[in-house]
Amino acid sequence: MFQYGELVRNLTIKEFKLRYRNSVLGFVWSLLNPLAMMIILTLVFSTLLRVGIENFPVFLLTALLAWRFFSIGTSMSLSSIIGNSPLVTKIYFPRWLLVLSSNLANLIGSSLEFAALFPILIFLGMKITFFALLLPVILLFEFILIFGVSLILAPLNVYYRDFNQIWDITLQIGFFLCPIIYSISLIPERYILAYALNPMTRIIEATRKILYYNTLPTFVDFTIVLASGLLLLLIGYLIFCKLEPRFAEEI
Amino acid sequence: MQVIQVEDLWKKFKIPHERRTTILENVAGALQILEGKRFTYEEFWALKAINFTVNHGESIGVIGENGSGKSTLLKVIANILRPDRGRVKASGKIAPILELGVGFHPDLTVKENILVYGSIMGLKNSDVKRRMSSMLEFSGLERFKDAKLKNLSSGMQMRLGFSVAIETNPDIFLIDEALAVGDMEFQQKCMNKFKDFKEEKKTIVLVSHALNLVNEFCEKTVFLSRGEMISFGKTGNTVNEYVKHVGGHN
Repeated sequence: MFQYGELVRNLTIKEFKLRYRNSVLGFVWSLLNPLAMMIILTLVFSTLLRVGIENFPVFLLTALLAWRFFSIGTSMSLSSIIGNSPLVTKIYFPRWLLVLSSNLANLIGSSLEFAALFPILIFLGMKITFFALLLPVILLFEFILIFGVSLILAPLNVYYRDFNQIWDITLQIGFFLCPIIYSISLIPERYILAYALNPMTRIIEATRKILYYNTLPTFVDFTIVLASGLLLLLIGYLIFCKLEPRFAEEI
Repeated sequence: MQVIQVEDLWKKFKIPHERRTTILENVAGALQILEGKRFTYEEFWALKAINFTVNHGESIGVIGENGSGKSTLLKVIANILRPDRGRVKASGKIAPILELGVGFHPDLTVKENILVYGSIMGLKNSDVKRRMSSMLEFSGLERFKDAKLKNLSSGMQMRLGFSVAIETNPDIFLIDEALAVGDMEFQQKCMNKFKDFKEEKKTIVLVSHALNLVNEFCEKTVFLSRGEMISFGKTGNTVNEYVKHVGGHN
């Protein structure tokens, strides 16, 4: 692992550069997107539909950032192998490093997004407490989850090129299955158990707890996220090892 | 000391009659099977029962007609493709210089590519930066160091790949027709480099159609035809056999 440290660093920088190259505004786009979404959704939900959630922009934006970290990270990883076909077909190195580097580039991007939007959140009335210090821990747990999912998605996309369309739809469904635009209290009692098993629900709720409700996430929140993350990592590892030998042929 | 061991190596490719790369196509295909139509593909054995070993410091030529499995053989030795049967063992750092390139990304600049490639080859960034100028100098592409790779001509890309690969100090070179696109001056420069490598006891596997090059350069040669190894031995004998083989078809 350590012998590849420098390679992972270089690949991550490369991914990050390629993501923002060829656009004048570059990184600014990734800030404008959640902001635009926040404005639109706030207009629709608190002005037109009157959901009656206190400080809806902060309620929404905190969840949106946690969701975007997952959705963009996994979507980017879909092309981490096929997007590097000039490397994969010409030279050997452990291919999972490409997936990891794609995820790390997204981690940098999302962290910058968080950092840049924090002043806006404070301006919108978010109260910063010591609980906010837990944010890196939540992001780290989310990263494990993203890496596990990516290890499943990236190799499958080499064999089945419509996997990114399928994943797009899955993410759209996921957006509404998680408490992003609504509060978890809207979920009927008898569904709550199944609903709350979703690790992304837990991550979004935990983020909201530390930044919006100003409470501590529970031990169960962290356990579910970490357990599902490690399980997906194991499944991802097995799938990746199975499909990796024929990458150069299928790509 | 044996550096490359190829033991009973078989490699097959699947050639589907209808290529399916999406799940939708696969589902549609599965429905057709239910209706009685069969999903068919041909198996194509690109390499069959290949056996040979390369000793430390040897230069080996690989010759044969188009489609005989030469490039596949190099890719299996480089661990880019995996064998279906048998095994290949190569010890030491391998620099594959395959058709048009060594593993560069078209959207990155020359300098960025050199850094990424260097670290794939196990070099530290500080090492790569130190050697950067001699890499660029050998390739003659100093002026283009900030150009994106895709904007270089194929000849320039190959020059760059070769120049960078040789500076990473590998133990084994796998070279697939790499010199074919270079101009005369560059080919001469490469030939001199090869001679240095031979003196430094580097191991070289050279795929080429240029029989004079193979004759001059390689002690032993593998002759492949339709995935089978027809002969392996002293270059003079093998090349003669190849020439006879080609003549026999006419």
